[in-house]
Amino acid sequence: MSKSSNAYNAGIMQKTGKAFADEYFSEENQVVKESNEVVLVLKKSDELNTVVEEILLGSHLAENPTLVVEDRAGFWWLKATGKIEIDCTEVSELLGKHYSVYDLLVDVSSTIGRAYTLGETFTITSELMGLDVKLQDLQAA
Amino acid sequence: MAISAATKAATDALAVNRAPVSVGAQEVHRWMQSFTWDFEKNRTKYSTKYKMANDTKEQFKLIAKEYARMESVKDERQFGSLQDVLTRVDAANRVHPKWNESMKVISNFLEVGEYNAIAATGMLWDSATAPEQKNGYLGQVLDEIRHTNQCGYINYYFAKQGQDAAGHNDARRTRAIGPLWKGMKRVFSDGFISGDAVECSINLQLVGEACFTNPLIVAVTEWASANGDEMTPTVFLSIETDELRHMANGYQTVVSIANDEASSKYLNTDLNNAFWTQQKYFTPVLGMMFEYGSHFKVEPWVKTWNRWVYEDWGGIWIGRLGKYGVQSPASLRDAKKDAYWAHHDLFLIAYALWPTGFFRLTLPTAEEAEWYETNYPGWYDMYGKVYEEWRARGCEDPNSGFLPLQWFIENNHPIYIDRVSQVPFCPSYCKGASNLRVLEYNGKKHSFSDQWGERMWLSEPERYECQNIWEQYEGRELSEVIAEGHGVRSDGKTLISQPHTNKDGKLWTLDDIKKIGCVFADPLKAL
Repeated sequence: MSKSSNAYNAGIMQKTGKAFADEYFSEENQVVKESNEVVLVLKKSDELNTVVEEILLGSHLAENPTLVVEDRAGFWWLKATGKIEIDCTEVSELLGKHYSVYDLLVDVSSTIGRAYTLGETFTITSELMGLDVKLQDLQAA
Repeated sequence: MAISAATKAATDALAVNRAPVSVGAQEVHRWMQSFTWDFEKNRTKYSTKYKMANDTKEQFKLIAKEYARMESVKDERQFGSLQDVLTRVDAANRVHPKWNESMKVISNFLEVGEYNAIAATGMLWDSATAPEQKNGYLGQVLDEIRHTNQCGYINYYFAKQGQDAAGHNDARRTRAIGPLWKGMKRVFSDGFISGDAVECSINLQLVGEACFTNPLIVAVTEWASANGDEMTPTVFLSIETDELRHMANGYQTVVSIANDEASSKYLNTDLNNAFWTQQKYFTPVLGMMFEYGSHFKVEPWVKTWNRWVYEDWGGIWIGRLGKYGVQSPASLRDAKKDAYWAHHDLFLIAYALWPTGFFRLTLPTAEEAEWYETNYPGWYDMYGKVYEEWRARGCEDPNSGFLPLQWFIENNHPIYIDRVSQVPFCPSYCKGASNLRVLEYNGKKHSFSDQWGERMWLSEPERYECQNIWEQYEGRELSEVIAEGHGVRSDGKTLISQPHTNKDGKLWTLDDIKKIGCVFADPLKAL
């Protein structure tokens, strides 16, 4: 089990019974608290298993030490601080077939954070896209 | 062989300026922007008190061709799995019988929500003026049609391939008598399609989808898998692949009004009303379905709620918008109390009213009672001992002559129905955030379970005129009402709902109910 603060059962979730209730009902937990994390739910599939195992937990693991990936039966649950990016050009090379960002979206099940595409890159970020940061269009070649 | 001068000229030209062999979807998206469609002065049938900006973006740069290709791949994968391997391994008969009953409620109710979301997003398409924002809403209209079919299909699949089809195949026939139906219509219908267009977006997209689809459509698949159901993850996780665009649509609705003066006046009230409206129903009903409708438990519902609703939706969506004036919902404290206790309160009432439903319920076993007490200290003294009494009085046996509803009457614990949410509650026997408030309007009494609903009602009481089952059937005998409300199976006498899932247990009939002599009474008349 991951000990990261981004794990599925991190923090209060490790507690049970009265200990959980005491923290859950504590005065400081009666308002929402701003979070800089993002959550991604990926439906398990041939391609997405490769993305998770070979890219996010493989070649790119060192780039995002806050990333946690957990197996939740039918889906992969991912949480990271700041952002998670998937470059589908790289996925295409790995799969040996054309794999666009829209092919990726076939199996991206849920997002908590601001998700967007630009070219062949899928990004989910804690930034407020459209408010703090302008959403970009593909630039002309 | 010599070539003509014209062919040579064309060949030379192409050597310098290669003709494109394909065009990327986002290049098409960029090209389409050059059309400069202008909807700014369009009239809409669906007005809003907010002004939506004319330059709002859609975050995925989706064009129709890519959308259609993407969705067809999703359907191929989903239906391929269902019709091939899942049928071959007899997956529907491997589902635990308790979970089979939960899916009667979850999928049938979600279908209603998806159906109403078609209208809701059509309305938003009409209200918005930014071309990309309209495009995002239009994609969602099509998604919601797909989801309606998917929900209908999964019930069809369970009914055709699985166990105890009654309730999977014709749940809607009980909509007049089932006490969960009207509350579901309040969140999934009225909340999505009635009133101000932006308010509807906040209800549907910012709260319903960005917050509650995560437990309802994602976390539910963990419970399904744990209880032997591999169909639901196949379908529901595919539904959710569209929801991320819907969440983005809801966020972009907020982006589009962020610079409007009206947002500082109205947004926090509208957000709080939407949050309370959605949580008031989803919190107890989902918790009840997960915990009481499963044999194998994944985790306490309050932890699921804490993760997906409080920490992630609250922190990542609402918390991050704090600098734009968005505040923590004022009703959060009561919602958290409900997330801990309200599903236990609701199951007590749902089990007492079981003959009016379209799914079978099961009392907690001794092993489950221990799990509840470990995770919800105080559970046994409030609920566990009542279930022991009901079981001892033979509540599962049609020959016992005992309906748990009698226990509420004998112990003077009247069950009221909240006028705004239509959720039943028992103020003298509950641990959730409900307490009785009664108001009179136009010579009629109305009961409320909380200040949040009461406030909404006070601002527009004519919106909440739906009769509840006590008012509708007052003075009528229960078996008569069940027969009239189509609560029986195809033999015309056995109830669809039952108070157990035991394959060898006797099934209750209308005659068993009739001999008890239970008559509907409106508790408000006694006040």
